[in-house]
This record gives sequence, structure tokens and C-alpha cells, in this order.
Amino acid sequence: MTTQATTPLTENVTALLRPNRVRRLFAAREAGVLVALLLMCLYLSFASPVFLSVNNLLNIGRQVSLIGIMAVGMTFILITGEVDLSVGSTYALAGLISGMSIIGGWDLIPAIVLGLVIGGAVGFLNGLLSTYGRLPSFITTLGMLSVARGVALLITNGQPVTVDARFGARPAVLEQFFFIGQGRLFDVIPMQLVFFIAVAVLGWFLLSFTVFGFRVYAVGGSAKAARVSGINVRNTKVIAFILVGVLAGLSGILSLAFLPSGQAGRTGLGLELDVIAATIVGGTALSGGEGTIPGTVLGVLIIGVLRNGLVLLNISPFWQTAIIGAVIILAVGIDKWTRSR
Amino acid sequence: MSFKFRKIAVLFTVAVLVLMSAATAQPSKAQDNSGFKLADRIAQKVKSGQKLTFRVSYHDVSNEFAPEIKAGVEQAAKAFNVDVTLVGPVGAKAEDQVAELEILIANNVDGLAVSSVSTDALAPVLNKALAAGIPVVTFNTDNPSSKRLGFVGQDLIESGRAAGKLMGDTLGGKGSVIITTLDASAQWSLDREKGAREALAKFPDIKIVTTVNTGTEPQAIYAAIENAMLANPTVTGIVSLECCSTPAAGEFVKRNNLTGKVKIVGFDLLPTTLQLVKDGVIEKTIGQGPQKQGYGAVQLLVDAVNGRAVKGIDTGAEVVDKSNVDAKLQPATPAATMSATMVATMAATASK
Repeated sequence: MTTQATTPLTENVTALLRPNRVRRLFAAREAGVLVALLLMCLYLSFASPVFLSVNNLLNIGRQVSLIGIMAVGMTFILITGEVDLSVGSTYALAGLISGMSIIGGWDLIPAIVLGLVIGGAVGFLNGLLSTYGRLPSFITTLGMLSVARGVALLITNGQPVTVDARFGARPAVLEQFFFIGQGRLFDVIPMQLVFFIAVAVLGWFLLSFTVFGFRVYAVGGSAKAARVSGINVRNTKVIAFILVGVLAGLSGILSLAFLPSGQAGRTGLGLELDVIAATIVGGTALSGGEGTIPGTVLGVLIIGVLRNGLVLLNISPFWQTAIIGAVIILAVGIDKWTRSR
Repeated sequence: MSFKFRKIAVLFTVAVLVLMSAATAQPSKAQDNSGFKLADRIAQKVKSGQKLTFRVSYHDVSNEFAPEIKAGVEQAAKAFNVDVTLVGPVGAKAEDQVAELEILIANNVDGLAVSSVSTDALAPVLNKALAAGIPVVTFNTDNPSSKRLGFVGQDLIESGRAAGKLMGDTLGGKGSVIITTLDASAQWSLDREKGAREALAKFPDIKIVTTVNTGTEPQAIYAAIENAMLANPTVTGIVSLECCSTPAAGEFVKRNNLTGKVKIVGFDLLPTTLQLVKDGVIEKTIGQGPQKQGYGAVQLLVDAVNGRAVKGIDTGAEVVDKSNVDAKLQPATPAATMSATMVATMAATASK
């Protein structure tokens, strides 16, 4: 959609507003990813007897949830033409702070809110520096990746943070906290997956059906055109950064609620690349202007199913690493090569 | 443009050549540590009773053992009246550790204790320090490729054997086992895995299904174990080679009601691990005395500068199970609690 930059604004806007065309465009883009996912599932259901079991499918759903929640935020950021490399560190910082507040005897809601606020604050800072501070977001968030992890190490002093009654958490609060991470809705659906679905639906609504979503596309398609048409480019981006920060915080909190022990040196380490990879595989362009939430969900599922499948097939861990990388290149490649014709 | 490219190409070629010559100039892997001669400047310092400066370089100061090793180092600093601090890379990065050690050598440090990220990557710089008359000992993770004067820590292959034997005995000599590790290619992991496989090989009715490389991120560790267990439903034992996949394996077994059906033998004494031992989910876990390692590293350096024979210290493989776990279950580590209070106060002041 790089051509958007040169087409007149009016055409741009009408193109975005014409519902049929929008639907067709999105459908076409996601269709490729969906076919790839279905093919993989088809193969795995023959190759492994456990793949199609309810238990395994729910496991995959849970395993991709935390990456998926962040990928929803990342979709917004990438569409605006920016990038956030700091999500893994934000995840650690926000999660560990929430956990430490619970250990400090806090109630559940204030502890979660504190974590989300910390995540949002990191995002706000990223956004401010990347827009009003005129720094490339690649640099800002690369720096923030280190700063946030350093702060997490400092406040925990490198010690593992174990959310447990023995260390001061209140048993009633613990029970609620563990429910959001380990519980199952109707005793079936893992709560992490419930959060992912909720975030994906809300994100999809926000991106596809609201003025803010329209602005996000406009800013990423052509910042100049967006500015001329009266959209505040900087504020739109700052809000997108806050959004991804809050979602990274939410993932971090859920992570600690699932495995009640975190450690600032390891928690969330390297997740930013998993998140970006899943988003890109789902059809979001690194160059901005295009991407959808359903596409991102499919991208997240492709990586999750792949990782699960490789283990079910007992493929050596070193091969797994190489294959996952190759699939990322292949998925994006197929999308690009087929579309340029 | 083409000029720029040519320039880059030339630079690149030069860089490659320099690297190659550096690689060939590496000292050979002789294990001879008899030729060490203490630098005169250090000998004089010792004679005149000046305070010595040691540095203890740990392979990842951001992991959960760093605080314990640091505590041991600080204890030793007081006991021996030396200036010593814990240094090392954040995240196990060999390049960063080498660079830091080079700076310390250039600044005339009086002694180095090193736990290597990677044996082969670190050996040349350790030998360089020794050649400059700076005593070098290793701790936690040994570096047998270097000419280090001595080692403090657990014999990693031996501790792997201990874990393998414990698993074999726990299973009554029959079953199928997976091995989990958060970094299958790391030196310590290779050593422990070797030991564990050796010991398990003595039980002919035990089959090792696979080694699961979980990665270091907590969610990834759990997911890797979950997937591996689903792929191999006949598994009856999990041998975890380190701190962090041990409690994750425990959580998996507990949550899937496999307690007693899948036995776990693991490493280290993290709070969650100890709780899972107490709950009967983890059969045995092997401690390695990280604080003793930090203390012992400094102790060996003090011996070296005073011309005493440097004798390695084996910090042992302490087995913790249900019978002795209560003594290990201590209240929260002071630092983490303090920080929690700190956050609470911060938030309280902010809300006012």
C-alpha cells in the first residue's frame, strides 16, 4: 500500500470508507494466512494423534495468549509506521511490580492497575520521545528495552519474585490473582485465552470501526496527508504507544499469575521479536499503513501451532529454532510475492 | 556509492584478517598451571600490607544466583579485608564478559575469579591475565581449557550423575525419562546432561526419550514442558538440569494431577522448588551452595597472592527432599520484600 502515499487524500479516504472494498481487501490478505494455518493443522492432525485433542488445542490457545495480547497492540504501532522493541521488558517490569505489590499485601485490583499504569507510562514515554522528541521509535524503544529491564533488576535486586502467602501475599488475593492466570472459564477455557479473545475483539473494534482506528491507518498510510486533513499525527502515535504499553503490562501480569515466580533477568526476555514476528506473519507491514487484527490473530496462531507441532513431531530443538525462522520468512515472502503481481 | 562500498569491503576484509590472526594466535589448550608467576606489583602490595583489589566475574549477574553469590563475595571481602565486587554481563553474553575482563586486566586488578559464559571463548583472556601475573581462579562454572589455578563449585558432571542416579532409584530402575534444560548448548548444561545420561545408562530398563531445550523465558519453559509431555504421554520421570525448569516441571505435574505418576528430580533451591518438594510434587532437588561458591572464590585468590597452594573446593551436591526441606524453607529474601514495600510506599505517596 505504498502507493497510498502518492494518491490524493480524498481518494485515500474514500477508499478506506468504501465498505465493500475494505472487506475485500482485508479478506484477500487474511485468506493466504488462513490457508497456510489450515494446511498446517491438516498435516499435523494426520502426523500426530494428539494434535487435534481438545486438551492440546486449548494448550495452544493458552500458549499463544500472552504473545497474542501484545501482538494486538503491536499491530496498532506497526500500522502507524512505528515499532516498539521494548514490550518484553515492559512485560517484565509491569508484571513484577504488580506481583510485588500483591506480596506487599495489596488488593488485586490496585495491584493490577499499578502494573497497567506502569506499562502505559513506559508506552507514553516511548511515544513522547518518538514523536515530540523526534527520535526514531526504533532507537527510543531499543533504549527503553534496556532501561525498563534495568529498572526491573534494580527494584527486585535480581531476586526472583515469588507470589506466595509465605512472602506476605494475602491468601484471598492470591486466589483471585491465580484465577486470572491459571483459572478456566466454565472450567474449560483457560483464562489467559479469555483475555486474549477479549483484547483481540476490542482491538479489532477499535481499529476497524472507530475514528481512532481510521486515524491510525491514515497516519501510517501517509503522515503528510493525515496531517493536512487535520489528524494530529503525534497524538495518534502516542496513544498507540500507550496502548501497546498497557497490553504488554497486562501480559506481564497474567504471566506472573500463571507461573507465580518471575525473575527480572529472564521474564519476558526476547519476547519483542516473537511479538513482531507474529504480527508481520499476520500481514501487517513493517512500513506502516496496513494490517488487521484478524490477520494478527492468525499470525499468532501460525507461530503457536508451528511451535506445538514441531514438539509433537519430536523434532530436535535446534531444528525447531531454524524452522520457525524459515517459516516467518516464507510466510511474509508468499504474501509479498503474490501481491506484487 | 561504489566508493563507499569499496571502503566498507576493505574495512571488512581487514577486520576478518585481524580476527583470523587473533584466532590463530590463541594459546594452546595446555592444562599446565605450574608456570604461574605472581606479578611483582602484587607481591609488593601483599608485602606492604596494602589492600588488594579482586574482581569476581559471574557469567550472568541478572540471574537468580547472582544475589547469593554476591552475598558470599561480600562476606569474604570483610573476612579477608580485600576490595572485591561482583561483576559480569547482564544476560550470559561471552563477548561482554571478555571485554570487561580485558578492561580489568588493563587496570591492573590484583586477582580474578571467573565463572565462564563459554569455556572456549573465555580461556584466552583468562590465560592472558595469568601471563600478566594476575592470579585467576574459576568458580561455579569451571574453565578447564584455561590454566586457571583452581576451581570452587560443584563438579558439574558429577552433579549430573547424582541427578541421574537419584532418578533411576526413584523410578525403581524402570520407566521413560525426559531431560529438561533451559540452554542445551551451555557448558554447564552439557556437563550435567553428560553425567545424567551416564548414570541413567546404568539402568537398562530406563529409556531417555528426549532432551527438551526450554529456553530461558518462564512462559516458554512451561510451554515447552507442556508440549513435550503431551507428545510423550508415557513419560514417568523428568530430570531437570537447572534452577528454572525444575519448578516449571513441578507446576506442570501438579496442575495436571500427575503427582506420583511423573517423578521429578531437579536442581537448586528456589523458593517455588522448595515448596513443590514439600508438597511432594518434586522428589529431589540438588543444591549447590552458591553463597559458598562466592566466598570460596575470594578465599582461593587470597591463598594465591600469599603464595599458598591453591586447592580447589568442591561445594558439593546437597540433596533436598521431603525429609529435610523444612529447614530450607526460609522466609522471603530480604531484598525482594524491601522492594515490595518500596513500591507500596511509592504508590502511596503518589496517590496523596
